[in-house]
Amino acid sequence: MRVRPGTAAAPGGRDGWPPMAGRLVRDGGCLCFVPRFAFLDGTAYTVTVDGATAAVLIRDRPDGPATTEVTAICPTAAEVPGNLLRLYVWFSAPMSEGYAARHIRLAGDGGEVIAGALLPGEHELWDASRRRLTLLLDPARIKRGLAGHREAGYPLRSGEPFRLVVDPGFPDARGHPLRAGAERRYQVGGEERRHVDPGRWTLTAPPAGTSEPVQVTFGRPLDHGLLARCLQVTGPGGQPVGGTARIGPEERSWQLVPGQVWTPGPHQLIADPILEDLAGNSVSRVFDRDLASPEDQPRQIGPVALAFHPR
Amino acid sequence: MGEFGLRRGRADLKSAGPITFGPAGILFLADNVAAKVFAVDVADPDPAGGSEPFDLADVDARVGSFLGCEPGDIVLKDMAVHPLTHNVYLSVQRGHGEAAQPVLVRIGRLDGAVTDVPLDDVPFAEVRIGDAPAEGDERLDITLPLGDEGEELRVGERKIRILRQPIRTSTVTDMAYAGGELLVAGLSNEEFSSRLRRIPFPFSDEVAGSSLEIFHVSHGKWETAAPIRAFVPYDGGASILASYTCTPVVHFGLADLTDGGKAVGRTVAELGAVNQPLDMVSFVQGDQEYLLVANTAHGLVKIACRDIDAQSPLTEPKEPVGVPRETKDLQGIRRLANLNGGHVLVLQCDDAGHQHLRSLKTASL
Repeated sequence: MRVRPGTAAAPGGRDGWPPMAGRLVRDGGCLCFVPRFAFLDGTAYTVTVDGATAAVLIRDRPDGPATTEVTAICPTAAEVPGNLLRLYVWFSAPMSEGYAARHIRLAGDGGEVIAGALLPGEHELWDASRRRLTLLLDPARIKRGLAGHREAGYPLRSGEPFRLVVDPGFPDARGHPLRAGAERRYQVGGEERRHVDPGRWTLTAPPAGTSEPVQVTFGRPLDHGLLARCLQVTGPGGQPVGGTARIGPEERSWQLVPGQVWTPGPHQLIADPILEDLAGNSVSRVFDRDLASPEDQPRQIGPVALAFHPR
Repeated sequence: MGEFGLRRGRADLKSAGPITFGPAGILFLADNVAAKVFAVDVADPDPAGGSEPFDLADVDARVGSFLGCEPGDIVLKDMAVHPLTHNVYLSVQRGHGEAAQPVLVRIGRLDGAVTDVPLDDVPFAEVRIGDAPAEGDERLDITLPLGDEGEELRVGERKIRILRQPIRTSTVTDMAYAGGELLVAGLSNEEFSSRLRRIPFPFSDEVAGSSLEIFHVSHGKWETAAPIRAFVPYDGGASILASYTCTPVVHFGLADLTDGGKAVGRTVAELGAVNQPLDMVSFVQGDQEYLLVANTAHGLVKIACRDIDAQSPLTEPKEPVGVPRETKDLQGIRRLANLNGGHVLVLQCDDAGHQHLRSLKTASL
């Protein structure tokens, strides 16, 4: 007895293909096939005895309601730079890997796909719970001087809006489609090639003795993923101030509501120098450095501290 | 504990990823879900291989048939050839989503037989390769697991199980063993950087390895960093040729790389627009060492190592860019490995999407 996936036991092309791994166990008058790897939903299996088809067994894919949806697409800024590097898509439940290229695309207002805009690749960039997908625009087309940029130009064009589109057919981890597709539309501005400069941020110190937030505004949108981990507030002794951090609209600001009331004395907002803007420029370096430009010199290697005093 | 610090037990892979052989038939397997690399003694039972070629049509369908699924339900993640027996090892993902299961498959060089290599009772070691969480990065995505993963919480009279998982992850794109170290290239799902991790082997609890950033300069004008997609050691492991997601092919010496430092590699070629490197291998033809670069847009690119050493850094845009190279009219090649001195084994995808193992004679390349 042999078991093979598919509905044809041994059509010409399948001669010599190995049968499904497993062992035969006699159970009274029955002969049982115990598979080494579990049968897969949505697959038909052909059972042959002495080469003749004895049965075709179809393991149905369980039906269920489509419940997973896209919960956010970042950036949330209405306008992104022409050299935008990265987007994030958040889902409400774990997703299946290997389908992003088929089900996510950048498209113009007319629906036409912007070909070659997203970095293709076998490696999809998911977080550990498979709920956040990171998408990169092709860096070869964004970096100056490279063949990709010279020959194909930027994936996005200033003044030409585009949309990130997620198809409803994108399967979640159970194999079910999404409840609905999702999209976000962006205007495209000019290039952004400057460092992220904490020296230009505006910091609003909270009153001492209150739980009002400390707030910082950046002057331009920063990367959502990095923003969520690259800022920290420390108190007079240098100890971290706990509380609830929130990223502001369009990722242009950030605030921390402290867990306890502010004490008077020197506090610091500490920025990790890897913090990037939407075009991959960070506190420490620009995305592609013009070696002839003093402005592009690498900057801060260590964390940047902005002092404030709750009063 | 055996040689190379391996202990017998279950190598608990959560996902299939890049694989490469190290010393004494030990296979390194990257697991991007668990953020670990496993070192496994695969105990290949076969005798030493010779110099004969090995070809196998429809390898994806054969592996799928063995694993009980249609070809569309398996993903061949990577390929490695056992340095002694020349049997072929495939890192395979079976199924998708919740049903996804990593399987290590061995294909016999003598008869093309497909078997799996069970990992539940093998000599193995493991090391964590996920980026250490940044100081202050306490972000964890909390979900309700379907199985018994995670931790149990009591809420009033009820017990619930939750799973906390990191949001920031690092995906291994390629690995190679050279000079007593496992070199690991990775791609972050947040910051855009070029990091190559050096992990001493045998693995140590104390030393998780060092990482450094490698910049490259395009046309003498722009210095930039980018994730390494594929790389290959050559010249006995003294040199590395790395291919970036933004397509420059960059040389650097292993001795130049110091812990936590910044290195600037020498750009010796570009693969061109709308193209992605996929894999690289070195081979010897006559008494010269050559490299092959598989990529998504063109045929196999062949580069002589002596030309890399003689190439001055690219300073002017010109075509063809960089070192002299030949482009072989071999399309659809996704993975490369040395089969034996006489052949390079390729995993090739045809126009219909079927995948095949083919041997390319090094003398004819």
